[in-house]
Amino acid sequence: MKITRFLMRTQHAGWITLFVKTPIKPSCFHAALLRPPIPRICIGQEARWIHCGSTVYKDKPDNSDLSKLFENETKAKSLVTHDDLFERTAKDAKNKASFNRVVDVFNKQDIRRRGHVEFIYAALQKMPEFGVERDLAVYNKLLDVFPKEVFVPRNFIQRMFNHYPRQQECAVQVLEQMENYGIVPNVETKVLLVQIFGEKGHPVRKYQRLMYWLPKFKHINPFPVPFELTQDPIDLARFSLTRIANDLDAKITVYQYPSTDVTETGEEVTQPHIVGIQGPEQISLLAKHNPNRPVFVEGPFPLWLRKTCVQYYLLRADLVPPEERVQDEPDPELVGPNQCLFYPWQIDLDLSRDMGDDFSYDVEDVEEGPVYAMCMAGQGDQATLARWICGLQETNPILGRIPTVFRLESGSRELQTAADVQHDSGQNSQSGSEQEHIIEEEQLHSQRMKQ
Amino acid sequence: MAVSRVTLQTPAGVCGLFRRQLLQPSLSHPTILSTRSIYGEYKRPGQPPDKRWPWEKIRFDFSKGVEGIQKHFGLLKDEFVGRLRGPEGRPLLDHMLEQTLVQWEFRGPESLDQWVVSSDKEIGGQSEAYLKLGKNNTTCMLYGTLCSVPPRDGETRYSGYCTLRSKQTLLSFDRKRHFDWSTFNTLYIRFRGDGRPWMINISAEMYFSHNKNDIYSYFLYTRGGPYWQEVKIPFSKFFLSSRGRIQDDQHCLWLDKVNNIGFTLGDKADGPFQLEIDFIALCIDRAHTEEFAYEKFKRNPEVP
Repeated sequence: MKITRFLMRTQHAGWITLFVKTPIKPSCFHAALLRPPIPRICIGQEARWIHCGSTVYKDKPDNSDLSKLFENETKAKSLVTHDDLFERTAKDAKNKASFNRVVDVFNKQDIRRRGHVEFIYAALQKMPEFGVERDLAVYNKLLDVFPKEVFVPRNFIQRMFNHYPRQQECAVQVLEQMENYGIVPNVETKVLLVQIFGEKGHPVRKYQRLMYWLPKFKHINPFPVPFELTQDPIDLARFSLTRIANDLDAKITVYQYPSTDVTETGEEVTQPHIVGIQGPEQISLLAKHNPNRPVFVEGPFPLWLRKTCVQYYLLRADLVPPEERVQDEPDPELVGPNQCLFYPWQIDLDLSRDMGDDFSYDVEDVEEGPVYAMCMAGQGDQATLARWICGLQETNPILGRIPTVFRLESGSRELQTAADVQHDSGQNSQSGSEQEHIIEEEQLHSQRMKQ
Repeated sequence: MAVSRVTLQTPAGVCGLFRRQLLQPSLSHPTILSTRSIYGEYKRPGQPPDKRWPWEKIRFDFSKGVEGIQKHFGLLKDEFVGRLRGPEGRPLLDHMLEQTLVQWEFRGPESLDQWVVSSDKEIGGQSEAYLKLGKNNTTCMLYGTLCSVPPRDGETRYSGYCTLRSKQTLLSFDRKRHFDWSTFNTLYIRFRGDGRPWMINISAEMYFSHNKNDIYSYFLYTRGGPYWQEVKIPFSKFFLSSRGRIQDDQHCLWLDKVNNIGFTLGDKADGPFQLEIDFIALCIDRAHTEEFAYEKFKRNPEVP
């Protein structure tokens, strides 16, 4: 056992200094020998040699004194940042394996883990580049870099006075990065933190806070979005359209799949995907639409799914002014003398309700035109959307008689497109049949609003 | 804190020091050392510090005085007359029997004056946020761009947020007006977002000045899409945080003296955002009997 040999050597070489510095009885030595080989300072200054790296131990002769030891340790050092380690090791691939390799290299190079705080800070910075910021095992491995049991406070004074504050702050930063990415730590993290810092330090308190709050808030989103969104545009469109349709009966139709054709002249013609959604309520509303009034294709509107922004288009109509509104005739079975009195549709009695039973809100309703359909397309130009309207006509034949106006946004100041979507302002209207169209030139809205 | 006054009244030595410093020519800021004068009132980061002498901050103006008298006494008269009609100026039956109360609605340009928009531009970031009225002057639209590049001042690590907060309502003579929501237990908001997760912050009037940054928060998840979204959040779900950090000692929001409500966005996704709010109301959910959603026991027990 190296440690026992070291102890014997100090016994021979620094015997006199040992006795001068601390009155140690031989029994203490025996106790030290019997203890497991954890680096602990028990024989004053000289026992620091126990913490030396194994390489230093091999090279040094037995009776070198302290100063020469330190000299040789610091001789070959130059100011090299820990970032360099990452750069050098990751020349080929930046992934979890290379990150782990860098951490292993650091661990092996010095048993005292000199500079581990700076190394851990650098590693936290580099995690997103290597793509491991969501990996709990990597965080545990990073916490493993701390030397164990050195920073555990041993009496109440050390506990009071923020023992090893830099290391505690570093561990709290590791946990804070975990919190930022929403990663719930596990029992291995707790065991590591307790081994390194003891039970009453700041890192363990932070861990306890994480374990209390993160599980409470992890699943409260009523419209959850998975972390790994599908890259396939059709599936993405399906997911987002079901989300915004707010109707479980709504049906999704893929009007066009993305494809690339090569024409005779050798040009590539790409067809973007068109995915639309329409619910039964919307179909019935559209069937009742007055053919003299136009319908508008508006877009693109942004929808955020975690960090990706997708664009969708709407088919909607303007609000019908109150004088032109057609009142639906209620079913004579529901109203009138033959109605069922147990579940009455309309009663002509003068029953007034108290304000104590009035649960409505004292605001005027925001009146908006109906939305008939929504779609997501690979390209936002008029041709693609016209193709969508043609597809919609199969389920809504009235669209053939209604003039359609394209109110497409073209590069507004706020809406920066996430994907490459081309816009152009709507100029002409498109109709499927021979009826007259109303051609409207829509001015560009300077700030796009969902209406 | 009366420390500044104490320094003036201490033995002549200190006063003499102060007077000697006055004789020096190029002094532009007060030199009385006290916590209050060093840190002063809250200084919005990004704005230059207010280095005027205290007497320079008072503005003596006759017309301003007359305006002030008219306005404040008018408000005082309204309050007295309103008390005759009922509590808070509303009829007593309304106050006793109402089950819902619309607190903020956006039905005209003057409703935007009640709100303050801020973003991380104040700390040197690059997000932008603007507020305007929606279509037909019936809704409010908060829109802008987020940018989570932190400002390079050496101490800020995260950035990229924007907030919409209601201004503190005032009674006559600039006294704070608190909302009394003790009859209600649920917050009801009708809004239309773009899929981003927002956070609702309610700040109540606290007794101690230590608690002046205490905010009760909860999340507001938007669905996105062209349809309006209505959400009911019971007040028992709001957790306590102070200056952005969740506190260990949690307690329920007290509804008898509520000051402001705010919406904030900071979801680390760079890009444009928009949130349209129709109205913010309160209601009672008789089926909701929960007093508080989080445990109140001591979370960091002392060493036994």
